[in-house]
Amino acid sequence: MKRHLSSVLAATLLLGAAPVWAQGTDASIVSAAEREGSVTIYAALDASEALELVRGFEARYPKVKVDYNDLSTTELYNRFISEAAAGGGSTDLMFSSAMDLQMKLVNDGYAQPYASPERANIPAWANWKDQAYGITAEPIVFAYNKRIVPEAEVPKTHADLAKLLAEKTDAYKAKVATYDPERSGVGFLYITQDMQADKGTMDLIKALGKSGTKLYTSSGTMLERIASGEHAIGYNMIGSYVRERQKRDPSMGLVAPSDYTVVMSRIAFIPKAAKHPNASKLFLDYMLSAEGQKHLANRSIGPVRTDMAADAELVPASARPIAIGPELLAYMDQTKRLKFLKDFQRAMQGK
Amino acid sequence: MAKLIIDDLHVRLGGNEILKGISATFQQGEIVALLGRSGSGKTTLLRSIAGLEQPNKGAIRIGDAAVFDAAAGVNLTPEKRNLGLVFQSYALWPHKTVFENVAYGLKLRGCSKPEITARVEAVLEGVGLGHLGGRYPHQMSGGQQQRVALARALVYSPPVILLDEPLSNLDAKLREEARIWIRTLIKRLNLTAVFVTHDQVEAMAIADRIVLLDDGRIVQSGSPEELYNEPRSLFASEFMGVNNTVKSTVREARGGYVQIDLEGFALWGRNCGGKAVSDPAVGVIRLEQVAVAHGEAGGENTVRAELETSVYLGGHWEHVFRCGELSLRAFGKPLKAGPHWLHLPPEQLWVF
Amino acid sequence: MNRPLRIAVIVAMALAVLAPVGLVAYQSFLDGPFFQPQTTFSLSAYEFVLDDEDFFEALGNSAMIAFGMTLIAVPLGAILAFLLVRTDLPGRRWIEPLILVPMFISSVVLAFGFVVTFGPVGLVSLWVKGWLGEVPWYLYSKPSLMVIAGLTHVPHVFLYASSGLRSLGSDVEEAARSTGAGPLRVALTVSLPMIMPSILYSAVLVFFLGFELFGLPLVLGDPEGILVLATYLYKLTVKLGTPSYQLMAVVVVAIVCIALPLVWLQRTLLKTANRYVAVKGKASAVRPVSIGAWRWPAVTLIGLWLLVTVVLPVSGLVLRSFVTSWGEGVSLAGSFTLHHFKELLNYPNLVRGIVNTVLMAAVGGAASVAVYTLVNLAAHRWNSGWTRVMDYLVLLPRAMPGLIAGLAIFWVFLFVAPLAPLRQTLLSIWAAYTLVWLAYGMRLVSGALLQVGPELEEAGRVVGASPWRVSRDLTLPLIKVGLIGSWLLIFVTYMREYSTAVYLLSPGTEVIGSLLVSLWGTGAVDTVTALSTVNIALIGLGLLLMTSFRKHHHG
Repeated sequence: MKRHLSSVLAATLLLGAAPVWAQGTDASIVSAAEREGSVTIYAALDASEALELVRGFEARYPKVKVDYNDLSTTELYNRFISEAAAGGGSTDLMFSSAMDLQMKLVNDGYAQPYASPERANIPAWANWKDQAYGITAEPIVFAYNKRIVPEAEVPKTHADLAKLLAEKTDAYKAKVATYDPERSGVGFLYITQDMQADKGTMDLIKALGKSGTKLYTSSGTMLERIASGEHAIGYNMIGSYVRERQKRDPSMGLVAPSDYTVVMSRIAFIPKAAKHPNASKLFLDYMLSAEGQKHLANRSIGPVRTDMAADAELVPASARPIAIGPELLAYMDQTKRLKFLKDFQRAMQGK
Repeated sequence: MAKLIIDDLHVRLGGNEILKGISATFQQGEIVALLGRSGSGKTTLLRSIAGLEQPNKGAIRIGDAAVFDAAAGVNLTPEKRNLGLVFQSYALWPHKTVFENVAYGLKLRGCSKPEITARVEAVLEGVGLGHLGGRYPHQMSGGQQQRVALARALVYSPPVILLDEPLSNLDAKLREEARIWIRTLIKRLNLTAVFVTHDQVEAMAIADRIVLLDDGRIVQSGSPEELYNEPRSLFASEFMGVNNTVKSTVREARGGYVQIDLEGFALWGRNCGGKAVSDPAVGVIRLEQVAVAHGEAGGENTVRAELETSVYLGGHWEHVFRCGELSLRAFGKPLKAGPHWLHLPPEQLWVF
Repeated sequence: MNRPLRIAVIVAMALAVLAPVGLVAYQSFLDGPFFQPQTTFSLSAYEFVLDDEDFFEALGNSAMIAFGMTLIAVPLGAILAFLLVRTDLPGRRWIEPLILVPMFISSVVLAFGFVVTFGPVGLVSLWVKGWLGEVPWYLYSKPSLMVIAGLTHVPHVFLYASSGLRSLGSDVEEAARSTGAGPLRVALTVSLPMIMPSILYSAVLVFFLGFELFGLPLVLGDPEGILVLATYLYKLTVKLGTPSYQLMAVVVVAIVCIALPLVWLQRTLLKTANRYVAVKGKASAVRPVSIGAWRWPAVTLIGLWLLVTVVLPVSGLVLRSFVTSWGEGVSLAGSFTLHHFKELLNYPNLVRGIVNTVLMAAVGGAASVAVYTLVNLAAHRWNSGWTRVMDYLVLLPRAMPGLIAGLAIFWVFLFVAPLAPLRQTLLSIWAAYTLVWLAYGMRLVSGALLQVGPELEEAGRVVGASPWRVSRDLTLPLIKVGLIGSWLLIFVTYMREYSTAVYLLSPGTEVIGSLLVSLWGTGAVDTVTALSTVNIALIGLGLLLMTSFRKHHHG
């Protein structure tokens, strides 16, 4: 399918025909972007996963070269603020899954507003004052190993999970994995979202603690260990990664909890100091365009567009998107943050 | 004309004063041995001349020019002193052939290729290695390596050549040959040479003049005969030869002579240490100066001693006598066991 | 080299070291990022860290692991060195390059190899479970961490101990044999005590490396949350929501405070080393000690170590790169796939990354060795305060965990105007590598330099060569073999280097190690294993090169 798409595209370009979706971005921006000639992106999305997106963009706008740098969320942040302080950043677009860190940068005034023509097609929660855009909608799910967890025991809701662990504590002893909110920023974000969504989360944490849940710093490690059978269930896993793994690993199972499913979004913003602001706007539009979203969806990264058919299993009716806005900064307050961590620790210890 | 002058040289290394004021003059064409025990400072003196150690006081002049002068702030680097130095370990560069080892000094002096070839071949010929230029040092015997080291130091005709224990790495037989060979070579080239050794026999065999060092000072300096026959101190006398030693006190002093006591026998000896009556003194006599008096007993400067044992040394015997607590040694013909009278000539018995 | 040149070189090196280290030290006394205008001087960072129980837990764990791994690595490395260098152990020429392998594999990758083989559902664990009904070890515990850290640091000890043993005359051992001592006794009472300074030196080094251990605890300490100083740095960031440089800087200062007395200790050890000098310029041919029947237990010991430390984890890793899934109840044959490698080919920067890595390792490695040689020559045969200062300086960059070092060097390139244009070139990465591996490389080169008898250089001076000519014509050619050896070691080290370059990467300057780290961070385990397999293959190639070079040289 994707190969087909790109060959059609190539043919279109070869014939010199007007691009089909070109009505999106303002023509003046397109020509300015082409004059700028390149766009530098700092992203916390693996280059291989972004490959299709980048190639798609370059095929449509061959005059704009993409410099794609993938870094971890922390590195991204460090590099951005350092370069900003040194005067003149070297990035034109910031794209990261660390929603709170991105929001902090936007809130600190590093972003420039841009009213994307695609804004009509994305939900209100995914756009903050035209400065920060949510590009994806990725559910936070349960992952499980089908070889180990019998179909009947697969938890469908957060309460189910707590109940399963309470009832079969021994069978699931040390068999559950989740993020350590003390050592993983995204893990912190998801668990605090749970807290807001569900008053019973503390009980779930207690159940997790009782069954000797292992706490990790990265989703890759957790998925690997769930796949190998070292763990049976992963709680608060990023749905896109689980989905992607399912493509090749038949024993990987996924549940989007039916009581509520937190949906996270990778945030993109255009820095004020961008050297190629037009190219950056062009790329942002492309990411939000149906074509760009399709490329991401091919790598199991859920589209944020309202007009695109959502993966029903992935984004159920119970979806509870994390709204992009200053609320994300609530836990940037040190005292509040440390207090939550203390509470979490105590709950894990069964206190 | 003096070729090398050392003036009141002091060297301090790592907090220890190694040389405590050395002054010496070396003449053109003279071979001088710096003789001393290990730790006497002889190697430090040599290295200071070469520029490998930095003295903190004094001066070193070669010809008319100072290569080191603490007062004037002159300190030429080793490469500017234009000296030849033969190391104890030879220090041949293992990655260069014999030819390249020797040629390096000429190359540094900007000689032309043909000139280098000619001079290196000549000097290798001179040390008897004309045919081995293409070899590497590790393919050569110790004696050959030593000759290469010498050739390397000679090739650019330095005004002074320095040798650090040049023979110590050779075996005994080779060493005796090398002594004569080295002396002949240096003399033939009319070089000024300074060499360091701890072996007085080697020093006497090679050198025109010996500078005896002890504890960072010059003890005595002179021709080998002077040092051997007229040592000016107990140290010099003991260092230069094999002696019988008697500890005693001075009984009587007359003219240049004093009388000491050897197990009840009164002996007259030369007063070398300015001793007065009842001073403690040490009498020293070379083994070869002790004569066995045949026949008559008693007599001036004789002692009676019991023959303990005799050792044949090839050509002559060494006898060990006992006289009370003391043992005395002498050379001579075979002797019967029993008591003998030994004559210790007063002019050969030095009292320090 | 003459005095002004020596001083110039040392000052240049001091600047290169002190710029990033000094920046970090300065940062530790601020209350925010040093580059932000509202930042002021404050001791609050120290207060926070010293008040944080996690810090002391991490410090305690680091100390314990460092201590434990030293206890394991030092005796094993010393015995291994004795067996391989001094005895007629069968196949020793082949074993030797293998011993160094753990040094050359990125520790994150190696740790992951351990998970695949020795983890709770690892291949070996499952096999053992089939026999015993349970797995008698738990990989994610502190003791396991200590043992694995110990086993993987054996090469460091081996490297120093073996070079010490190589320059030891055979006569001392023969003397001991002739008085009736067995080979083990010879090793324990004669050979190893004679090289005690080298062994102690490496012990201090391993102990220090224990404090900046990162990859192993990152992977193996993850499930149980075992914190060490380097992983504590990560935790700090998350705990506070945003990276707090001042807090990280305090931790670095703490590590420096641990490092300085260790350098002092090393210097003292080296000074006493002179008392032991049985080591002469021209070492006679080494005659191996015949160990007779001991050879089989010895080979078994080495084989076992190799199996556990190298063969199994590496095989596990390579295996993982060819399957979609593994673990309890998975048929490996049924999961076979080449998809990960295909995915790797898809990776836009991969080829460039490999080319860059090889370029960096080969050309950059050679340039680094040149720098290390220059700095070494500056201090060569020069006893002065400058060289003493230098000894302390060279270890400082190592006191910063790789990521911090990378960040600090990135700052230097960012904020020092004349350097800024170089930031996005391979040169900045090269500078970072050279700086981070300064202590290691300096030691490699100085090892070679120490083999050169001083009289060989003095002879050059007397014959008329300036210090510079002596270095060029005599010293350098004499240590050529040693330099090539150092270059090969640096080559493989740079091949696996990661973290340092993370911040300096820009499009066009990717290197494999950093790709690995960023992939690991995003959880792309499939690609990580495939890339590691490629990396290991490249390192294997380097090792092969090294072995054939050694054989060539020996022959």
